[in-house]
Amino acid sequence: MTAPITTPDVDTNESTALDHPWKVIVWDDPINLMSYVTFVFRKVFGYSEAKANRLMMEVHLEGRSVVATGNREKAELDVFRLHEHGLWATLEQDS
Amino acid sequence: MPSIFRRRFTWVDDRVVVNLPDDEQQMLAHVLPQLRELVMAETDPALRRLRPAARPDDDEAEAAYREMIDNDLLRSRLEAIEIVEEGIGGTTLDDEGVSAWMHSLNALRLVLGERLDVDVIGNEALENLPDDDDRVGIVALYEWLGWLLEQLVAAAMGALPEGDD
Repeated sequence: MTAPITTPDVDTNESTALDHPWKVIVWDDPINLMSYVTFVFRKVFGYSEAKANRLMMEVHLEGRSVVATGNREKAELDVFRLHEHGLWATLEQDS
Repeated sequence: MPSIFRRRFTWVDDRVVVNLPDDEQQMLAHVLPQLRELVMAETDPALRRLRPAARPDDDEAEAAYREMIDNDLLRSRLEAIEIVEEGIGGTTLDDEGVSAWMHSLNALRLVLGERLDVDVIGNEALENLPDDDDRVGIVALYEWLGWLLEQLVAAAMGALPEGDD
């Protein structure tokens, strides 16, 4: 018997491996309800209640929060889904 | 029971049941066509909130992003409004229905909030308007929509998985 052949653990997603990660940012606004924002973070990103709540409070108290990171396509889709929900989201590339 | 105490959204058997009193049904039926008209308009200032810039730092990237998603966003908003209109009289919402109601109720709030300049004057000023102020009616509508949305969020919470930390 021989040892199993192992392959290097590389990320096969080109854009993740080659691009800088992109940041999805949500900005504070006086209209969206806090409970709603927490709900949207849980729904869109699958975050626990504790994490969603922490991010919501960060938006509320600090004016913005990086709520997700990833390759460009994923970040664009995240921003789209946040805009559908009426949140004020932007994306920027980590420099 | 007086309708003011009745829940508008209830979580039953993995679905959200919608049950609005007549006057609230009429109010929603009245404002949704206006929302539809507005999302189809190209220039209304309230669109700033419904279609915010994704790349405010980079005009070229923003234009490319808009080109890519504007149609999808418009279609999504129109479909959501339609789903709500179909269910005003009472319905049971699956996941897609819940999203449609949330998107539409929140979009109405965003538009009204923009009209009321909540960004500039703050929520507190609106809560303390004199009775004869022209904005009192819009504020009442804005607050009612917020109250509905809070109830929908509470009812739909049951559908969310535990999630990741």
